Amino acid sequence: MSLIEIEKKEVPEKPVEPLRVRGIPFFPHFLLREVVVMCLIAGSLIMLASIYPAPLLKPADPFDTPTPIYPEWYFLYVFGFLKFWTWDIGPIPAKIIGVSLPMVLWYGLLFLVPFIDRNPSSEFKKRKIAVALGVIALAGILYFTYFSIVHH
Amino acid sequence: MTLNEKIYKWFDERFKLSELLPPIVKHPAPDNVISNPLYCLGGTAFLCFLILVITGIFLAMYYKPTPLEAYNSVEHIMTVVPMGSLVRSVHHWAANAMIAAVMLHMMRIYFMGAYKKPRELNWVVGVSLLLITTTFGFSGYLLPWDQLSFWATKIGTGIAGSIPIIGGYISLILVGGNDIGAETITRFFTIHVMILPITIAVFLILHFAMVRIQGISGRL
Ligand code: HEM
Repeated sequence: MSLIEIEKKEVPEKPVEPLRVRGIPFFPHFLLREVVVMCLIAGSLIMLASIYPAPLLKPADPFDTPTPIYPEWYFLYVFGFLKFWTWDIGPIPAKIIGVSLPMVLWYGLLFLVPFIDRNPSSEFKKRKIAVALGVIALAGILYFTYFSIVHH
Repeated sequence: MTLNEKIYKWFDERFKLSELLPPIVKHPAPDNVISNPLYCLGGTAFLCFLILVITGIFLAMYYKPTPLEAYNSVEHIMTVVPMGSLVRSVHHWAANAMIAAVMLHMMRIYFMGAYKKPRELNWVVGVSLLLITTTFGFSGYLLPWDQLSFWATKIGTGIAGSIPIIGGYISLILVGGNDIGAETITRFFTIHVMILPITIAVFLILHFAMVRIQGISGRL
């Protein structure tokens, strides 16, 4: 599973003396563990699938709108935000904002994260702002997801 | 010489296995990666992806992307095709698990600060992977052509359509007309089984190549 992560931990330029890395050898111990984890994940998926089969409702009918209509759970926050934001800003209608913020602006910001956060430290305590913003963003997504379920 | 040794020797003479393998096989897995299960999330997402490819191929053998046949073909998979229900349900659950794993993986990267120099571009590739993965989910949701998938797609494409400037084009490209119909289902099917798999393969190769070149950040 993490086959990729093993390769490049350190490649000493000149093997002066083999670097001692604390860890278990890739083969067979690490591989064995990977295989066991993979089987566990695959097993859980098969179990879930047998207990809760994928749903199939009534055939689509373009003339009969059902209620409620839910998108996939990972899009709920967009629906929620759209319901939540009801204020026009100047000439910009509320709906445009409600759509653009959770999709365009949010993904734009995500793409730019490494270029916005120039702080070189990756220690938790030295990057309080980044961590705080991350927690706020997470809480926001969870809140709007909740909002979309409650206000249906 | 045992049979194993003979086989090994046969390949070794042709592919120099004895030079290729030791760096991979003997390389110790670093402690911080082994002891922290958060490092499994990327691999879990990838495993889900592989399961999705396999189950998806079997589903594609029975699925028919037209408004008249789509629903019936899925019902056929669920009730008649041997193991069909299991294959479709595993596809369903692996899809949700993959999205969850990708999101959690991204959170690990964010909170550990693993996107910092020199890994900025891998973060950008990662966000693209997140977009591709959720688009996979969005396009797959329509395919069963049941009430929920039809109406959720109607609303979803409506929302995408009201994005300023580009929205109109996005919804025209997705829907292929004024309303969700035959054009839409063939488009979503093509996106789901042709365009996105090829795209994600390219981005996964980039992603893994960068992880390999740059190594795992081991600061925490
Ligand atoms: C299809 C989705 C994805 C797959 C299969 C995937 C797979 C992986 C794997 C196997 C690793 C090795 C380390 C680990 O597993 O934690 C990794 C590392 C990494 N991933 Fe992903 N990933 C995906 C999506 C993402 C996303 C959405 C982001 C961020 C936006 C991201 C950013 C990174 C970064 C920056 C690293 C290097 C981490 C380090 O050096 O510590 N990936 N990815």
